[in-house]
Amino acid sequence: MAAAATVYNPVGFDFSNQIRNNFLADRGIPLPKATSTGTTIVGCLFKDGIVLGADTRATEGEIVADKNCEKIHYITESIRCCGAGTAADTEFTTAMISSNMELHALSTGRKPRVVTAMTMLKQYLFRYQGHVGAALVLGGVDATGPHLFTIHPHGSTDKLPYVTMGSGSLAAMAVFEAQWKPSMTREEALDLVNAAISAGIFNDLGSGSNVDACVITATKTDMLRNFVKPNERVTKERTYGFRRGTTAFTKEEIRNLVVHEEIIGVRDDAMDVDGS
Amino acid sequence: MEALSVDIGRLKSGEVNLGTSIMAVQFKDGVIIGADSRTTTGAYIANRVTDKLTYVHDRIYCCRSGSAADTQAVADIVHYYLQMYKQHMGREPSVHTAASLFQNICYQNKDALSAGIIVAGWDKEDGPSVYNIPLGGGIFRQPWAIGGSGSTYVYGYCDATYQEGWGKDETIEFVKNTLSLAMARDGSSGGVIRMCVITEGGVERLFVPGDRLPKFWQGQEVIGKTFKAAADTEMIVEG
Amino acid sequence: MSIMEYNGGSVVAMVGKGCVAIASDLRLGNQALGISSNFQKIFPITDHIYLGLPGLATDVTTLKEQFRYRVNMYTIKEEREIEPEAFAHLVSSTLYERRFGPFFIEPVMAGLTKKPSGEYKPFIAASDLIGCLNFAKDFVVAGTASSKLFGVAEGLWEPGLEPEDLFETISQTLLNAVDRDAYSGWGAVVHVM
Repeated sequence: MAAAATVYNPVGFDFSNQIRNNFLADRGIPLPKATSTGTTIVGCLFKDGIVLGADTRATEGEIVADKNCEKIHYITESIRCCGAGTAADTEFTTAMISSNMELHALSTGRKPRVVTAMTMLKQYLFRYQGHVGAALVLGGVDATGPHLFTIHPHGSTDKLPYVTMGSGSLAAMAVFEAQWKPSMTREEALDLVNAAISAGIFNDLGSGSNVDACVITATKTDMLRNFVKPNERVTKERTYGFRRGTTAFTKEEIRNLVVHEEIIGVRDDAMDVDGS
Repeated sequence: MEALSVDIGRLKSGEVNLGTSIMAVQFKDGVIIGADSRTTTGAYIANRVTDKLTYVHDRIYCCRSGSAADTQAVADIVHYYLQMYKQHMGREPSVHTAASLFQNICYQNKDALSAGIIVAGWDKEDGPSVYNIPLGGGIFRQPWAIGGSGSTYVYGYCDATYQEGWGKDETIEFVKNTLSLAMARDGSSGGVIRMCVITEGGVERLFVPGDRLPKFWQGQEVIGKTFKAAADTEMIVEG
Repeated sequence: MSIMEYNGGSVVAMVGKGCVAIASDLRLGNQALGISSNFQKIFPITDHIYLGLPGLATDVTTLKEQFRYRVNMYTIKEEREIEPEAFAHLVSSTLYERRFGPFFIEPVMAGLTKKPSGEYKPFIAASDLIGCLNFAKDFVVAGTASSKLFGVAEGLWEPGLEPEDLFETISQTLLNAVDRDAYSGWGAVVHVM
């Protein structure tokens, strides 16, 4: 608790639990599983810009931890980033780069570029040598046109007209390789991204639930949350509602959060300070 | 070559690999550099049209092999140093300067990096030159250099074929044939061939699509068909 | 053995109609050996936020104190009570700070957010041990019985439960899940807001 005794927390990661955790690991006690997004994420270039796509399943081992999570993260108004890998890493890495991009825009007075976000991300991930497990698809439109990148956890980047990442990347890439063509319309690109993500949802166990999409053009960004919902659950025909009183309990405490205040006058002339 | 026995051959698990065939050859007026286009993560081809010929200055390029992340990071740093050099000194850096920067980084971080780099270009001091910087961080000036996992298959071909005094066209053919042979034998190499001709006058980019690669013996005789020489390989000259 | 099974314990939180509930078991164990049947895992943060901390007991104590400290500092600096959404992010960043040497805790939060209209909106969230938040609209679970809780809750939960009905649903969910988990049980506590 020594670190908590100060008001000012140092920046960066705190490694103080590592001695204990390594001791535990040496005794054969493994680290519990972190939430990972065994994901399908894609990006695709079209006539007027970029379409990004993602599924919405988050997993913890074989358990579906979140059936409708958001994997398309905000970087700037016209730059977005899909994340796969360790969920916490993609969440915090993109949030940090988003902050730095906003500060960069403020200090330069210009709309920031996609390459700037790409360089910040690759240098950050390279510094952590793959320990920050974020696999990203970065896309956006800036003054120099539309750009689409993949960024691997070790910090390598690729620039391509159509990209896929995550455990469903093979299924999604198969769709792209078969159907992608240059200068598609917005509708064609959205359909293709939907087909690619659906391929991941239905053929990859790590991916599932809904399709999120994001269309970025020079003038406008449309975040199409739950663009397609191919796995909607039907409502139950009947319910399991328990009758009140089913659960026996030994003690009940009710905390009343409404504060009652009663003012009682002690003496009528208590405030008589006239003295005359 | 004791230095090469250091454990530097490994990649970190899940790392993106440039299991590559790269090459650079000097000729009278400049250098030709070339590379395949395959980037792999395990058995998956993460990028089939990769550009492994990386700009570091106006007349200096490098060919990258090994870890994609490591070589991109190193090339970015050298690119930055050369920009600063130009601004401070008011003149173009030499290929040797660039190669030395690569060598320094690769040597000093040899335990952390898996990067095999060939630096090539043209400068006023030496004209065309090719420097090989293999895994341990050594530096070797060579008339021709090959690198990456595919290079092991074609050392004999290069030794038998290379001759001094070639012109541009002969050198291009040499690079194209060598890479084609390497890509055919090495599973981690493939795709298209990208080449750059770096001369005093500028940098010209050449591109050979995957279905226009030079063909050698294809084995038709084995199944009883007549062998046709496939010399009609074409190249596309990019803007 | 996973470190989460060293002391055992499970927490579940559910959304109802204008209300939320959070419930936990009361067991503290030393692997298979039961130590206490009155180990607190759910802590009040403000009048409108409750926090469940299933996982390694030493980290339950450490984190409970750390959150008390950080929430107090927040209250002093901001001169207002922390909102559930802000608290969820405080939990998340506290855990992510230790990305490479985590606490073995999977927090579960339940709270009520005051809307401008004056009415209260239910809020639940859960996080993994390195701070990845999960804002669910129905229920969240954590602890050694989490896989069982997921299954039972998926079957029993329904939208629009009144506080009294929510109590029955969350209680039956926890009790029945925990009965099939060797590392959880030994009594339970339910908080309905």
